Amino acid sequence: MNIQEYISSGIIESYVLGLASDEERAAFEQHCAMHAELRQAKEAFEISLEEYALANAMPPPVAVKEKIWKDISFSAGSSASTTMKAANETTRPLTPVRSLSFAKLLAAASIILLIGSTVLNFYFYSQYKTTSAQLNDLIAQNEQMAGNNTIMQTRLQEFERNFEMIKDTNMAVIAMKGQAPAPQSATTVYWNKQTKDVYLLVNGLPQPVSGKQYQLWAIVDGVPVDAGMLDMSQAGGLVKMKNIPKAQAFAITLENTGGSKTPTMPIYVVGKT
Amino acid sequence: MQNCLPQTLTLNNTVTYNEQELVLSLKAKDQQSFNYLYDNYSGALYSIVLQVVPDRELASDVLQEVFVNIWRKIDSYDPGKGRLFTWMLNVARNLAIDMVRSKAYQNSQKNQVIPEPDFFDKAGTSTQQSVDNIGLKKIVHRLKTEHRVLIELAYFKGYTHEEIAEIEKLPLGTVKTRIRSALIQLRDYLK
Repeated sequence: MNIQEYISSGIIESYVLGLASDEERAAFEQHCAMHAELRQAKEAFEISLEEYALANAMPPPVAVKEKIWKDISFSAGSSASTTMKAANETTRPLTPVRSLSFAKLLAAASIILLIGSTVLNFYFYSQYKTTSAQLNDLIAQNEQMAGNNTIMQTRLQEFERNFEMIKDTNMAVIAMKGQAPAPQSATTVYWNKQTKDVYLLVNGLPQPVSGKQYQLWAIVDGVPVDAGMLDMSQAGGLVKMKNIPKAQAFAITLENTGGSKTPTMPIYVVGKT
Repeated sequence: MQNCLPQTLTLNNTVTYNEQELVLSLKAKDQQSFNYLYDNYSGALYSIVLQVVPDRELASDVLQEVFVNIWRKIDSYDPGKGRLFTWMLNVARNLAIDMVRSKAYQNSQKNQVIPEPDFFDKAGTSTQQSVDNIGLKKIVHRLKTEHRVLIELAYFKGYTHEEIAEIEKLPLGTVKTRIRSALIQLRDYLK
């Protein structure tokens, strides 16, 4: 190979400027080892490149130097031992630093946003918990009120129905007065002359002992006829009893629960039709 | 292999001696030598970075990275393969090209449309103009267009010969020949 031709082929410049391929680099280094004039020509180009670059230098911003010192983190003391220590600490293989200022800024901003959104998430979550608990309370309250309302309506309807019956001109009212066992007792029978339906209103009766129950009797031609058992739990309003086509009087006795065929106990209240 | 450097002792004794001393001190992680290196070479390296990354702020970031890399990777510098400045120049050029090829940089440039064909032919914008007047670009601009375009792509944009052949729709051999003759011309301009 003609070394002069090789020298002037542009390979030196290509190698020095980092434009040569891997094979070209390897070949160049081999030739360099063998030919002094090649080494000299390469060195000459490097020097002229360096001199040109130094002559055409652009002063960088002053802040850059400070940032570099910070990045390579020299120890504060500059004695030989601390310098060597710092050197040893920094010679470990390190990944290349990518110091894109706006990328850093972006990273910082995204961390701040993340923290902010985490805080907000906690805040909104606790708000959500409180609100949903309140909502559940309200729903429960609402259900309770709706339930109460149904009960009230039922009771109101019952009272209205009772009142309608009392208002009915066909309704005979038989007041029944307290007798010896409980003189303060009083009941009223509402007897519809057309339908012959009998309703009993408890104005006042002693609470029966357990196992006992009040029984209404219709006195038909001197004979007591069962007119039904009184359920004390229904005694708040008119209690529908048995249909009685004909009666001269009504009376109540306290019988065993379930009633008797004929009255066996003393009369509590009695009233004539 | 044999060292390429020792010959230079006969070429320029003072510079080479200083360079050897500088390299040894740097490899010993001596702060003074690093300070000296920055004071003497930061301007030359900033200039080469600016030719690849015209934005001064981004170029400053790259320069910072260049010196941090020099400090950390000085052990990987082999004086047998070339001068310290040549090594530093390549570190600077490579990091600058890395920056220009980074996603972040590509995204930041999307809004600033600089049509490629006008890049070399027109006088260009003020930023471009200023970059054309610094460092190596000054002499690259003295090349004829067909050479200049290839040097721009190869040296300042870091494309391989194969990539350039594809971009410029030229045979690979032509690309290689043109780049070589452009480099020879540049060497003569440097003298």
